[in-house]
Amino acid sequence: MDTKTLITEAKARFAHNSAKDYLKEKYDAKLLVAEQGGLWKADQETISFLTVMINDYDDRVVIMDTFQNPVLVDRSGLLTKLKDVYNSVMAEWYNEWTDLESKR
Amino acid sequence: MTRGVILFAFNSHKYNYYEMAKHAASRAKHFLNLPVTLVTDEDSMPAGEYEHWDKVVKINPDKNNVRDWGQWINKGRYLAYDLSPYEETILIDADYVINSDKLLKTFDIYDDFCCHDSVRFFMRQGNFPEPLSSNSYDDILWATVITFRKTQRAKQIFECLEMIQKNYEHYEQIHGFLNAGFRNDYALTLALRIVNGHTDNPRDFIPWNLMHVGTNTTIYPNNEGEFNTEYTIIFDNWQKLKIKKEYNVIKDMDFHLINKDLYARIIDNG
Repeated sequence: MDTKTLITEAKARFAHNSAKDYLKEKYDAKLLVAEQGGLWKADQETISFLTVMINDYDDRVVIMDTFQNPVLVDRSGLLTKLKDVYNSVMAEWYNEWTDLESKR
Repeated sequence: MTRGVILFAFNSHKYNYYEMAKHAASRAKHFLNLPVTLVTDEDSMPAGEYEHWDKVVKINPDKNNVRDWGQWINKGRYLAYDLSPYEETILIDADYVINSDKLLKTFDIYDDFCCHDSVRFFMRQGNFPEPLSSNSYDDILWATVITFRKTQRAKQIFECLEMIQKNYEHYEQIHGFLNAGFRNDYALTLALRIVNGHTDNPRDFIPWNLMHVGTNTTIYPNNEGEFNTEYTIIFDNWQKLKIKKEYNVIKDMDFHLINKDLYARIIDNG
């Protein structure tokens, strides 16, 4: 029996909130990046912080990683890496989310 | 630096763990591109099956763990440290279904040992921490996935696992575990905390949840073929003494099957 028939026969309804949770679970993990001796989440907060900490004289900055350890990093190097990961992962997330929305 | 996966599989009267491990091994090779070592016994592995494995180690397992549903040959996991031929190893349960390369990330994030400290169930809201015992504030750690490097500290953790297994009744009496019979999750929880001086080191924990396919939940592969990664999950949601069936579709996501009966459906698809 194929899956569509199975769902129809079981009279199952699509669990939208659960699907949303599952996407968050899946893509949150993909946003994690081990770089420059720390573990980072390529999220809006970290990227914003690295962006505003620009300093013409010294491009190094100390930032707390996800394990709550302070790590001295090359700001622009880390920022570039996190932005790359953010863009590719969020594009994937958005596409899967759009598919999900169409199931409403 | 050599890396690989190690699996333990000992058939019980009820479940064919060897077949589960063989399925897990082919997926580990496909998605992680790592060699796989099997630890098993003469009774579990059929003849002429060596081609499926990079290395096979046969041992005489301790079969002295009987649960209400039957025999569960799950002891001896501490041997993974000595039996693994790799410098860095991912030890997974045979009923862990790999659908992505996510586990490779554990090599980047750990010091020398990591496992899951948090779990979620598909189709159910929130986390479901499981306490070690009725009189403990500690939640259990999960032995389903362990990544380790051969270091002195990792060795100590596995030696401690051995000590706890060999003196399990003593630890069971002290802690009053919620489930009877030997569980690797309990032994790991105690071993890691003992080695860490009864503190938690966040770097020992995999920074995402272990996803379970739990009770009242069935799972169906959406495509035929050995390396399908898309599944439909149907959940019997009990509300006011009625079942409301709900479903969701997942793809490219690893999971652990609590209900081993579901594994046959996944293997048959391959």
